[in-house]
Amino acid sequence: MLAENDEQELIRQSREGRAEAFTALVSSHQRMVHSLTYRMTGSVAEAEDLAQEAFIRAWQHLDSFQGSAKFSTWLCRIAMNACLNWRQRESRRGEVHETWANDAFSPGPDEGARAASGKLNEKVQAALNRLPVKQRAAIVLTVYEEMNHAEAARALGCTEATISWRVFSARSKLKRWLKSTDHE
Amino acid sequence: MNDSELNQLLKSAPTPPRSDEYWTDFPGQVTRQLNRPLRPERPAKNWLPRLAWAGGLAAVCVLAGFILGNKFGHTEMAGNGQSLQNEKLIHEVMAMFPNRVRAIVKDESGMQLVLSESEDVPTSTPLWVKVCRGNQCTTLVTFSGQELQIAGQKMTVLADSGGGVILTGDRFAWASDGSKSGAQDLKIQAKPIQMASR
Repeated sequence: MLAENDEQELIRQSREGRAEAFTALVSSHQRMVHSLTYRMTGSVAEAEDLAQEAFIRAWQHLDSFQGSAKFSTWLCRIAMNACLNWRQRESRRGEVHETWANDAFSPGPDEGARAASGKLNEKVQAALNRLPVKQRAAIVLTVYEEMNHAEAARALGCTEATISWRVFSARSKLKRWLKSTDHE
Repeated sequence: MNDSELNQLLKSAPTPPRSDEYWTDFPGQVTRQLNRPLRPERPAKNWLPRLAWAGGLAAVCVLAGFILGNKFGHTEMAGNGQSLQNEKLIHEVMAMFPNRVRAIVKDESGMQLVLSESEDVPTSTPLWVKVCRGNQCTTLVTFSGQELQIAGQKMTVLADSGGGVILTGDRFAWASDGSKSGAQDLKIQAKPIQMASR
């Protein structure tokens, strides 16, 4: 992770068009952005594409970064918007998620085997995919990126109260869906 | 499962691992594409009707989600705000945000939750408050000591030692024993909500 001064300097140089400075910024934030795009899509391949798209958008809009929020928060907002736009473009994805989520949660003969084989990742990601996209975004930012509600509100461009509602609602659902997993 | 256990469970599912080579190559891949055109942003046309629909739908969803999501299908949602006196609802919301719930507010735009940034709201008897100006009413459940914006006025809600409720604002004071000073245009009702268990 870069020191704040170093980061500010890299942002300044990137604004002047120096690609190598931006490469260093990408290097510093790439894991965070990949994690966010993966949690939002549930797909490794899509996560890579969206992470790349998010960084390119960030480069193209660097002038709009005011510095009032952290660079990582600003970057999260861009990555999240890329994910939300992608959701709209790829509406068929909803069907994929739905199928995956239904498979993951439907009790069947392989339920015991699923528990035994420890497919926790799959079940958690399926639960995330099952959430409405804006609730998922709120959970990704507050739980995985450990933002407080004010930061998440800035990243998603909504009010803190909206974030609180989305998190509240998403948590209720996740607890219900993952209840059995808790004891595995 | 509480919030902390849910967080732990969610975080216990890591993202798929990638090779060191991938992380080394990725910044270069981005840099090589810095000048490529991106897919266009969503068109902005027709956003006003969509916004109106989305706003209306969101308000309905928030209200319905709050009630249905918490299994309060039996609760009446008539305009009198009686649902806010539902003990189970209050318990569940307080359990979700321990010591952070400043108020659960219901007005013409639906239900809203007012949360504190930190866990600094002391546990106390919930207070039910209804403030009407003309036909516009705001009903809320809050706790003693909370300063809130109600019916366009900043008010502090207090519980007194005799089981009554006091509301004070910049230019008025009101108590549930019937005393009132100022704010003649406001019709106020308030009482503590007796909870069977806390």
